[in-house]
Amino acid sequence: MKTTKRAALLALAVLTAGTAAKADEIVIATTGGLMRNEMEQWFYLPFAEATGTEVIPFDIEVPDQWARAEGMVRTGQVEFDIVTATGPDLVGKADMLVDIPCDTLENVKEYALPGACQPKGIARTTGGMVLTYNTETYADNPPDSWADFWDVETYPGPRGLPDTGDRDWWLPTVALLADGVAKEDLYPLDLDRAYAKLEEIRPHIAVWWKTGNQVQQIMRDNEIAMTMAYSGRALKVIQDGSPFAMAWDGAIRDTGYLAVLKDSPNPEGAMNFINFFYGAAEGHPGFIQAVGYATSSTIGLSQLPEEEQKLYATYPANYELLVDPDFEWIGANRDELRERWTNWLLQ
Amino acid sequence: MSLSSFMQPDGRNLSKAGITLLMAPFFMLIGIAFLYPLISLLSISVTEPELGFQNYERILDTPVYGKVLLRTLWIALLVSILSLFLAFPVAMAMVSSGGAMAVFITACILLPFWSSVLVRTAAWAVLLQRNGIVNDLLQAIGIIDAPVRLLYTQGAVVVAMTHVLMPFMVLPIYGALRNIPQDYGRAAAICGAGPLRGFIEVTLPLAMPGVLGGFILVFLTALGYFITPALLGSPQEMMIATLISQQLREFLDWPFAAALVGVLTLFVTAITLVFSRVFRFDRMLGGQV
Repeated sequence: MKTTKRAALLALAVLTAGTAAKADEIVIATTGGLMRNEMEQWFYLPFAEATGTEVIPFDIEVPDQWARAEGMVRTGQVEFDIVTATGPDLVGKADMLVDIPCDTLENVKEYALPGACQPKGIARTTGGMVLTYNTETYADNPPDSWADFWDVETYPGPRGLPDTGDRDWWLPTVALLADGVAKEDLYPLDLDRAYAKLEEIRPHIAVWWKTGNQVQQIMRDNEIAMTMAYSGRALKVIQDGSPFAMAWDGAIRDTGYLAVLKDSPNPEGAMNFINFFYGAAEGHPGFIQAVGYATSSTIGLSQLPEEEQKLYATYPANYELLVDPDFEWIGANRDELRERWTNWLLQ
Repeated sequence: MSLSSFMQPDGRNLSKAGITLLMAPFFMLIGIAFLYPLISLLSISVTEPELGFQNYERILDTPVYGKVLLRTLWIALLVSILSLFLAFPVAMAMVSSGGAMAVFITACILLPFWSSVLVRTAAWAVLLQRNGIVNDLLQAIGIIDAPVRLLYTQGAVVVAMTHVLMPFMVLPIYGALRNIPQDYGRAAAICGAGPLRGFIEVTLPLAMPGVLGGFILVFLTALGYFITPALLGSPQEMMIATLISQQLREFLDWPFAAALVGVLTLFVTAITLVFSRVFRFDRMLGGQV
């Protein structure tokens, strides 16, 4: 009986201590696994050491995160400080997000690449939705464009496409590229033409993958011979020794942004973290190599050997092959894009 | 209030007050954890974004949602029928075999209950993948030349759901079969019925309550099934539970998701009512021992 009482008291003490410390912590929502682990190693822990502000990581896929955030706003209990935002989110979720003071955060002013700091979010990592293929299956004649992805005669084999994230505009975009539309003429998207083209490839899609972990898994397990993948996820599989390569032509630029929720518990801590993230030179090379995505701090990618820089989306020769999405148009037409996608996919 | 007021005057059975008191926690749990959330969710479906049935109209107006609903009913029906045909012989074997054998079969039926549905579903993914055991085996014995797509198909969903839900079919049938006195079978044989006729005219009708009970249990569970279709199916196998979750978590459309819940609830209620009528009808004909 006595032991129980003591245990209860102890639990109470721990609980109270937790509440007291709350002022000096921030909650950062990112996708779990690789991204969470590496952010923690290279930035969260050094940040806590430098400032005393503890970072609580929260693992969640981006669509789920917004659902959660929406629920938090509904109930008035906002628990995330920093969330992960995609380009369209910066337009679509703008009224849930606070402005980033690009001009007053010192390290951002000093080191951020042009365009990295947007009104509602600041670039964390940049990659591409890239065509990835098995180099053994296509040893003699590797595919190098979305037109080749659609060409099942010349390049037979099961394919994968995403059913997660922003597939409602990613896939119409690459379908139009495959149909011969030039990169600069893509937006506004001709959806009728895009879906007619998607209909062609549909029977050849063996896996509609749902998460970054799953796309890596289907590559390793040879469940597919070609797939659209997050470039950083694909890079990791390649570095682990699986026979895959990336074709950068027509890859969709995919920047993950850090954004701060309105009415978050610790907005000041959140801005401090963003400033720290852009200035922590020693964190960037290790982080970039580990996650396979380049940061947008000028003290980042340039620290790597030239040869290695070529594996990243922000390497100049790759960067010019990327599709630069029109987020204004996408944001303004998001509901229609979603509806169209859902209705097509579920058929 | 003394203890005696919860008892009947005879001091042996509970009084009405006693029964009410004992049932109260159960009804409170149902009310708080089930009815209240369900009703508040359903009320969103007719009050947001504005008062009216526009969310339900959207379900009716968009063919794809009807398609998902029909597909859900179809998959649930397939799973129920398949389970029934697999479960009946197993239940009969459990009844007719005694001792160690009966214990062994029961263990085989109940063992899967001890591992999570997620694990059992993931095991199917391993079996059915392109370089998985099933594909390797089929290639080894020469039935196919190249791996075929087994994973992320309707077949994968149906097979795995049948595996997960079959115990719910076996147990009620087993219960019904075990309650049939062995004399009935012997009586049928003495009256000249062969094994087949005895089965069709005696055993099967008497087992019907168990069959229907198992069928409704499996069918209704399958209707709302989430994890297996989500992991083993492609979007073309999407069932209504997955659609609801997608509307809720991805598209943040609570009112529309609530309307889909409303439609599913309606179907489940209607089917339960129909089944329970059939059930009682069957009892009237003497199906119940």
